[in-house]
Amino acid sequence: MKAGPLQLGVVPPANRAIAILDFFLRPIAIVGTLASAIAMATTNQTLPFFSQFIRFRAKFNDLPSFTFFVVASSIVSAYLILSLGFSILHIAKSNLVNSRVLLLLLDTAAMGLLMAGSAAATAIVQLAHKGNNKVNWFAICQQYNSFCKRVSGSLIGSYAGVVVLILLILLSGVALSRR
Amino acid sequence: MEGETSAVNIVETPKERKGKAPLLAAPPGGSSSSKAVPVVVKPAATKGGYRRGLAVFDVVLRIAGVATALGAAIAMGSTDQTLPFFTQFFQFKASYDDLPAFTFFLIANAITASYLVLTIPISIVCILRPNATKPRVILMFFDTVMVALTTSAAGGAASIVYLAHNGNSDANWPAICQQFNDFCQKISGAVVASFLSVVILMALVVLSAFSL
Repeated sequence: MKAGPLQLGVVPPANRAIAILDFFLRPIAIVGTLASAIAMATTNQTLPFFSQFIRFRAKFNDLPSFTFFVVASSIVSAYLILSLGFSILHIAKSNLVNSRVLLLLLDTAAMGLLMAGSAAATAIVQLAHKGNNKVNWFAICQQYNSFCKRVSGSLIGSYAGVVVLILLILLSGVALSRR
Repeated sequence: MEGETSAVNIVETPKERKGKAPLLAAPPGGSSSSKAVPVVVKPAATKGGYRRGLAVFDVVLRIAGVATALGAAIAMGSTDQTLPFFTQFFQFKASYDDLPAFTFFLIANAITASYLVLTIPISIVCILRPNATKPRVILMFFDTVMVALTTSAAGGAASIVYLAHNGNSDANWPAICQQFNDFCQKISGAVVASFLSVVILMALVVLSAFSL
């Protein structure tokens, strides 16, 4: 145990290290959520045959869950970009309490939103891959191959964003407890 | 000079309470001026007071969360509707295990309910020791993970419930709610209860943040 003098108003060095780690984790989450939003929003596959009555084009806004996923991912990536400012503030002044609590609150809300969007999209992707013969929902992935691959891949980025957000919440909590 | 008294305020830091504080305290480095450094003194009693109140609210929220998560799991698990007619080729029975999203929903909500029950003792410890931070941080981390799990279950089931209510003409998926009315009501109620437990878990995370 370090027997140094009790210094008032001086930040424990661990808090600054936590703030720096926070600042490095946020861009990872930004990249993940932004990439998944873009990958999902640019889906557009048209099958090479057509008939008068049936549509043979698949886009993300054909399914409301995918629309919600794109919107939620975009909102969370915009929030994360804006919260980089908070991160920098915490590196400069590591003994702020109220702004850390606010950041934790907003991070929790963002994580909930992102996870809800990812879960909704995952449920539809699972249906699209496997179908469900008990409800007569057939698997559209068998025809729309490239649409399916793109949509499944975009989920990876948003789940990475969720994991990083959980780590950020934990870091904020640890920093708050050390003061 | 007789009769003059001066009161000395002694602030007990958490380190002193644990017996780990250094023996001598020096003023902040570089104080070459003889000006007295004003120190804000917060009596330790009121700090513990508001934390204790928050910890009590924490336990109350946990009990409410058990109720909602358990309610969601039971509502989903007790779905079993058979339509009163039949043919050779079509299924006229709907139950939660026909759709994997609902099975996951049931399991995840059961996990959340049992997690909340198991963390009630830790919460009670936090009431008894309002200035302890380690159990608070651990609880906050696990609460965050549970928010993620419950949100994923609720979001996935909500997406399937939406499809069941509205169908999707672009993918040729019919809306089954028009036939399976009772099944649909139960699964919709279960999703609502699960989102309520998500809100309660988020409130628990924020409470932990305030009392850290």
